[in-house]
Amino acid sequence: MTDEKPLKLKLYVAGETPKSVAAIRNLQQMCEENMKGAYEIEVIDLRQQPQLAREHNIVAIPTLVRSLPVPVQKIIGDLSDKEKVLVHLHVDEQ
Amino acid sequence: MTHSPAEPDAGTEQDLRRRLSEAEETLRAIRDGEVDALVVRGPNHDEVSALGGENSYRAFMQAMDIGAAAVDGSGKLIYANGALVDLLGAQAPDLQNADLATHLGPDGAAALRRLLEHSGPDRRSEQLSLESPSGERHVEVTAAPLELVFGRGYALTFTDVTERVEAAAASESERIGRAVMASSNDAVVVCDDKGVITHANAKVRQFCISGCVGKHFEVAFELSFPVSSGLIGAREVVELALSGSNVRAVEANLAGGDRARHVVVSASPLRSSGGTIGGCIVALADVTEQRATDRKQKLLMGELTHRVKNTLTLVLSIANRTAAGSNDLSDFRPAFARRLEALAATHNLLAEDFSGGLTLEDIAVAELAPYIAVGSERLTIEGMQYRLTSDTAVALGLVFHELVTNAVKYGALSNERGRVSLTAANDGEALAIEWREENGPPVQPPERHGFGQTLILRGLGQSGAQSTTLDYLPDGVVCRMYIPNSSVLTD
Repeated sequence: MTDEKPLKLKLYVAGETPKSVAAIRNLQQMCEENMKGAYEIEVIDLRQQPQLAREHNIVAIPTLVRSLPVPVQKIIGDLSDKEKVLVHLHVDEQ
Repeated sequence: MTHSPAEPDAGTEQDLRRRLSEAEETLRAIRDGEVDALVVRGPNHDEVSALGGENSYRAFMQAMDIGAAAVDGSGKLIYANGALVDLLGAQAPDLQNADLATHLGPDGAAALRRLLEHSGPDRRSEQLSLESPSGERHVEVTAAPLELVFGRGYALTFTDVTERVEAAAASESERIGRAVMASSNDAVVVCDDKGVITHANAKVRQFCISGCVGKHFEVAFELSFPVSSGLIGAREVVELALSGSNVRAVEANLAGGDRARHVVVSASPLRSSGGTIGGCIVALADVTEQRATDRKQKLLMGELTHRVKNTLTLVLSIANRTAAGSNDLSDFRPAFARRLEALAATHNLLAEDFSGGLTLEDIAVAELAPYIAVGSERLTIEGMQYRLTSDTAVALGLVFHELVTNAVKYGALSNERGRVSLTAANDGEALAIEWREENGPPVQPPERHGFGQTLILRGLGQSGAQSTTLDYLPDGVVCRMYIPNSSVLTD
């Protein structure tokens, strides 16, 4: 991850379901520890705005979408396996 | 957790593969329990549906009327239900974004910290007070361990116990109030804001035997105040207290009951916790006996002063007149001493019943006893039940003393056969007392007119009645004394 290519992440959640809450916590913690200052997170609550699910064709919640850099990546789940998440977020930059 | 390769490129096959891969990953994730909600496509709009009964659980939490929250191990808020949001007077997003402790105030935050720090496997509770939009609330917070997906946290419940606390405080206040009322020596009543008596202690029964609760104060207590008090009636006492003023120790007369009484009235407003006046307390102290004692005391003081002055004048007069009739000091001393003893005898009797006066018989017995046994055949006492004022009693005591000492020296009591009769009769205007001696030695009128004779003749004064007569009849001395009825006490 570099300053030139900031990560743009969208996390789709459904209100305060346990996995949504866990996903928010895990993502924030992971980014702060590993990519400090080089990421943007947008949390989208589909309970409030269900129509936003169509942009990235979201079916399961929680789902994390890496919209930048392209190509778009999707990760389903509460992001508790941090190593795997980091691998998937970084994999296409290599 | 999984990932999918990419958004569609131009190629349809690659797009189809990607979609298939996504669908497979989604199914796997659902099967493996990695998701807890799904987006369900509808013809017009999409909906989010929770898995595993989450909706019903959340709906249940939201429907609870006690505040509930889940916090993580560090106390950060994960979830708060609507009841807690309302209780804290916060907006839901504010509550989500801020530390829960900031909404509890300093004391509440400290209580929450204690709860979480010392929380073991069992639930623990702390009571704290919160400033809410509806005023101060007493809240019992209970913390219980909660296993969360990402670790350990706590389930918190916030039970509003304000009513319970206030009811307990009110009950305690009422208990204290009743104890104070019961222990009071005064009659105490509590009136509501209309002046109707709602409570009364046992002492009130001395004034209102038929009970006063439920009556207006002025109906239950017919008070009349002296003009100097500035109060008109009982109603005004209550109105003053209900307007916030204190009425302190005002004397009044209380009519009704078994007899009229003299009371001291005090009244104070009864304020509720908000400071508004919801009624008043009125205390009535019965000072009837005390005032009667005060009056008696005053009378006695006046009487004592009067007697001392009279006695000193009398002693001075006795001394002068005894000296005038004496040849020398050896003559004077016993005569003077005997007269003072006669005076003292009557005074001793008077002191025993300071205000009630003495009967003729009391005086006669006191003065005659040193010379003749009361009850002996030589002395007859009849009709001597009349009670005299103290001044008259003292004077009559001296007269009896002179009569009996003369009888002992020269008259009926100077031999073995002589008799004395002492009788009294009241004709409606004056009391006539007769001293009659019989069977004594032949009577010789005295050659010299001494003090003794003067005292007998003038000792009782005139006072509108007849003068005392002293006749030296051959059979014996007869002395008739008259006492005006104004000096005779009626029982």
